[in-house]
Amino acid sequence: MGKMRGSGIVVLVSALLLVSGAALAQNLMVQCPGDTDGDMIPDLPGYENVVCKHVTAGDGYAVMPDGKLMYTFGFSEVPAGTTEPRVFAERQLKAEFTGPHIVLREGDELYLNLTNVGMVARPDLFDAHSVHWHGIPNQGSIFDGLPESAPTVVIGATFPYYYSTAGRPGTYFYHCHVEVSEHMQMGMVGALDVLPAQDGTPIGGFTKFAYNDGDGSTGYDVSKTLILAGFDSNFHDKHIRVQPLPFADMLDDYHTINGRGYPDTINPNPLGSVPENNNHFSQKHDSVITVNQNQRLLLRIANISTTHLFTVRVLGIPMKVVGLDAKLLRNGATDLYFDTDSVTVSGGQAADVLLDTTNVAPGTYFFYTTNVGELINGGEERGGMMTEIVVCPPGGCA
Amino acid sequence: MISSPTRYRSILALVAAGLILVVAPGAFAAIQGVTGTSFNLVARQDRITLGDGDSMLMWGYANGAGRMQYPGPTLILQQGVPVTVKLTNQLPAAAGNVSIVFPGHQVTAVGGVSGVLTREAVVGDPEGVTYAFTPTEPGTYIYHSGTRMDLQVEMGLVGAIIVRSTTASTSGCPNLGAAFNNLAGGDPRCLETKYAYNHAGTGYHREFLFFQTDLDPKLHRLVEFGRFNRIDTTEGFATCWFLNGRNFPDTLAEAGVPWLPTQPYNCSPIMRPGETILVRMVTATRDPHPLHFHGNHVRVIARDGRMLSSGPGNGPDLSFENYTVIGNPGQTVDALFTWTGEGMGWDIYGHAPGDPEQPYEVLADHGTPFPVVLPARDDLVLGQFYSGSPFMGSQGSLPPGHPGLNAAGGFFFMWHSHTEKELSNNNIFPGGLITLLNVVPWTAELPVE
Repeated sequence: MGKMRGSGIVVLVSALLLVSGAALAQNLMVQCPGDTDGDMIPDLPGYENVVCKHVTAGDGYAVMPDGKLMYTFGFSEVPAGTTEPRVFAERQLKAEFTGPHIVLREGDELYLNLTNVGMVARPDLFDAHSVHWHGIPNQGSIFDGLPESAPTVVIGATFPYYYSTAGRPGTYFYHCHVEVSEHMQMGMVGALDVLPAQDGTPIGGFTKFAYNDGDGSTGYDVSKTLILAGFDSNFHDKHIRVQPLPFADMLDDYHTINGRGYPDTINPNPLGSVPENNNHFSQKHDSVITVNQNQRLLLRIANISTTHLFTVRVLGIPMKVVGLDAKLLRNGATDLYFDTDSVTVSGGQAADVLLDTTNVAPGTYFFYTTNVGELINGGEERGGMMTEIVVCPPGGCA
Repeated sequence: MISSPTRYRSILALVAAGLILVVAPGAFAAIQGVTGTSFNLVARQDRITLGDGDSMLMWGYANGAGRMQYPGPTLILQQGVPVTVKLTNQLPAAAGNVSIVFPGHQVTAVGGVSGVLTREAVVGDPEGVTYAFTPTEPGTYIYHSGTRMDLQVEMGLVGAIIVRSTTASTSGCPNLGAAFNNLAGGDPRCLETKYAYNHAGTGYHREFLFFQTDLDPKLHRLVEFGRFNRIDTTEGFATCWFLNGRNFPDTLAEAGVPWLPTQPYNCSPIMRPGETILVRMVTATRDPHPLHFHGNHVRVIARDGRMLSSGPGNGPDLSFENYTVIGNPGQTVDALFTWTGEGMGWDIYGHAPGDPEQPYEVLADHGTPFPVVLPARDDLVLGQFYSGSPFMGSQGSLPPGHPGLNAAGGFFFMWHSHTEKELSNNNIFPGGLITLLNVVPWTAELPVE
């Protein structure tokens, strides 16, 4: 794509700019090369690999399975067509936990525009925000989101992050890196998967793969991304009460997959809509997994907890780990895949796990942390970090 | 949210660290430690300074007549060369006996008194214990007290051992292949390649120690106040986290600074594009710590001083790449890290197409324009290590009051615990288990290793 940019002048697109001229809206300058009509989808030839997103960072609320209201910070995606003057009015208090799930194809160039919409429920704060693409190989400081070494964006402004994905398939995630212990604990995390270039090519009976394996050994039929994270309710309560933050005492007591504790994990509907967040669905991501017998299931498991390492297991279906930290487990020509019944994922790690359901009897199987003390939603037992995998008969469930 | 006094103090400390980076770049080199075949360690009580300004009572190992240090002196040994380590005990009487165990080595101990794991040195006994072993395998190891470990390791009686391989260093410049602007083999700027293990696949140019420890102030205060009957290590709950005995931002200060007399080691990795760093990671903590590497993956080549190899001569063929490495209590990991900027899709030097290439520049990106327009300066918070320019080796305009800690125009990457609560010093953020890698252009002056 680089050559197509020619003069190096990025096509700056905003509906407002096109209508009113460049003098206005300096702060919310969303950048999407090749897009001529403001829908964040490039139209010009040569920009086929460009993917544009507009994400906001701010505050909001999530609801735990026991009804506990949790004050959060988080990301939220701006719907295409939202004009820039409306971003503030429409996107405040819409923090989501977990944030928008970003899925790219290897070779995509991502222009991720981050607008800081401020913390409405904590107007005393003026924190900047950033996006750190966790684990991307060979990053430059400018797009690394690290507040020590890069610019981060103030309330009311937009920062354009650029990422090239060629040669970088795998399971990643993203999070804010500003005052990172606090902002991550508050919920500023999201899933980020890069599908390999090999996808679409039939190899070994599959057309979808975890990595460019060349032999179909990471092929799968169904995939699910599972973000392990948690909340320390004491930290969040003190936060909304404008108290000193308890970093030393931080210890999560609500453990979640994709932003929800069990049994909310198996609820297929969007959740987290309360008057406090103007009835925004702040918990959009379920962990419902349905697979037909004899199919292969890929679980992309990433841990973003600020306090816990987790070991996870699927009761009754063995695991094959084929990737770690967005790298195929292979050294030269030698596969380093390993068969296991559980896998340990620390904060900041990800594992790609294949589950083969050949001859697995149809039924419900549980994915859960074997740190069994964390199967809680605060004071409520039989919850926390758990979800269900439903294995249907070969033809599918009725 | 940071309370302002804290923010102020942190910034002051960072400014201090940064001034050193600018004024005296000569101190990054290699791993500090003591070499030889006969070591004289003395267990003593002393104090360290935490990142939040607090002071903490410690027990630790001193090198001979020197002060106790945290962690203990890094013993740098040669593979196959026998060594002796004499330990004497000058701790207060209440501390009781003390000892050293050397995981990964076959040790004989003479003198002192019999203990559970090994022979122990009694307080005040000038003869102490002498441990002897021959390090048969190269790599990174830990040593620590083998006496009342739940308290004594927490108190600081722990250190690192590096065993150098018998493979001779080689000269010449890295050849990363046709995709890069490799330097000619004899270029004088290139460092020798050293070998962590006896195989070409373990070569590196610079090495840095990442000794991870943690601390529960409550236990140290009970020791200080002599309330030994109140000490219950089962209730230990760490609230301070260290790299090489220092909390961030002290990790970045120079080694041996006079204001940290009992914490002589820093942790301030630096490299040039195309070079390879050897990360020697030692963990001596109550809990596991996941060390996350910004900038690129590391390749894990060894654990506990044993190369990840399928058999003799095969090299690290069982090595793998991680973006986060778990440091388990008592374990060591060796990992290789390199950085070139490959695959980023823009020219990190901001070159025009006809400009000359930099060493190890990614040729495919040469002259490729920067992909975005950066927002106006007033829309941004500029980090203290931001040069004002997105390009390596360049400077841009910075507002008044910016400390300007990036004189070389380097790319700073944070290497830190991804159990993010550990980025604090006893309830004060930021701090703890953080350091910054600085990737500097080849035009910058760097010390010879």
